[in-house]
Amino acid sequence: MPDPNPNPDGDRVVLGTPEIAACPQPVYERMRAQCPVARDAFGGFPILSRHDDVLWALRHPEIFSSEMEMQMALGTARPMIPQQIDPPRQTDFRRILDPQFSRRRMQAIEPNVRQHAGELIDAFIDAGSCEFNSAFAIPLPCTAFLHLMGLPPEELELFLELKDGIIRPHLKSSDLEEMQTIRKQTGERIYAYFENLIERRRTKPCDDMTSYLVGAELDGRPLTNEEILDVCFLLLLAGLDTVTATLGCSVAYLAENPEQRRRLIEDPSLIPAAVEELLRWETPVTGVPRIVKREVTLHGVKLEAGQLVMLLLGASNTDDAEFREARKVDFDRERNRHLAFGGGPHRCLGSHLARLELRVALEELHRRIPDYRIEPGKTPRFSPGIREVQYLPLTWDTA
Amino acid sequence: MKVRVDADACVGHGRCYELAPDVFDEDVRGHCRIRTTSVSDELEKQALRGEANCPEGAIVVEPD
Repeated sequence: MPDPNPNPDGDRVVLGTPEIAACPQPVYERMRAQCPVARDAFGGFPILSRHDDVLWALRHPEIFSSEMEMQMALGTARPMIPQQIDPPRQTDFRRILDPQFSRRRMQAIEPNVRQHAGELIDAFIDAGSCEFNSAFAIPLPCTAFLHLMGLPPEELELFLELKDGIIRPHLKSSDLEEMQTIRKQTGERIYAYFENLIERRRTKPCDDMTSYLVGAELDGRPLTNEEILDVCFLLLLAGLDTVTATLGCSVAYLAENPEQRRRLIEDPSLIPAAVEELLRWETPVTGVPRIVKREVTLHGVKLEAGQLVMLLLGASNTDDAEFREARKVDFDRERNRHLAFGGGPHRCLGSHLARLELRVALEELHRRIPDYRIEPGKTPRFSPGIREVQYLPLTWDTA
Repeated sequence: MKVRVDADACVGHGRCYELAPDVFDEDVRGHCRIRTTSVSDELEKQALRGEANCPEGAIVVEPD
């Protein structure tokens, strides 16, 4: 077999810049074709990009583990559950959590999500312009989270601050050590907040997620406080930025492709398919990390035990070995096995909630503001990693 | 046509019961449950759509 990486430096790729985050698909294409096991130019870790490789890795947690030694990086004292633990323990927790996040269960909160989406639009529709990320994409998933957790909507500001303290400590400091301190302190505030909430729900349960977790059983015993906290921490971190990023990427695409948007306005029943196709094409959560548990060789490259590997979901979702006319954004695509929510046992727990939020948001937005565009002369700004459109200036004509 | 699902491969993406609700249903965890293993001609298109959109490739539709 010929060496797929003949040039020793040819396998190094740069993914972590705002320019590439704005349009990553061409880099993905080069990686799949030239170096299916690429190397991150900054971190040095291997990156898998082909659909069959990524799916295979996702489905083999005994080789590609989710148990990281870098949990401290996100301000947590312990791994988040179930994202950072492996089967079989992970499976036990998914048995408890999956029913709470099933599609059927999520249908019950649709009216609430729709109401919040409507209220957010009410606030800016008459102005004829908005910065979409801060006006809509950030608050909508956070209000849905608060509703799910049985928390009052007034907590919005607090939770946005807590989330940013973990994910964006660089907004407060550029010093690496200080950033870690901000993360750790924010982590402690999150633990304290949920500990207090768990105590209150133990005394007086109601119909919300925390009460459910307090009452849940694992191997015939109740969950410990720490286990419940580790689940709550994940729900806070995983459910907000990811949907924010997907809303931003989807609306940015639709703003720049009016003929595609026109189809959704004329036939809103296309929206669920558009949600899936934009998840595929944009893949806002570009990749998921894993730790190699036992040595394995892939395309002639040895992956060593203990090594961090990135599974590049975005590249796998634009692979023409799996997707017909992969470069075409096609709302009529008949076969769409995208991995935007990952795959295998760690398939995104909140995928049904995310889909609901995305569908309702696109329905309400296009019903109320069908003709929007990027503000002339302005350019949307994307962040790498999770492709959040941090700056998305939209404008439209008012009556 | 016959339809079957590999229960070990299903992880609850839910594409099948969303796109082909007359052939597939969801269990309490949101995993796939087949309504009928034997698919009539009118449901064949739905069954194939479910198969084509399962990210895990857990669904197989084949002739009797």
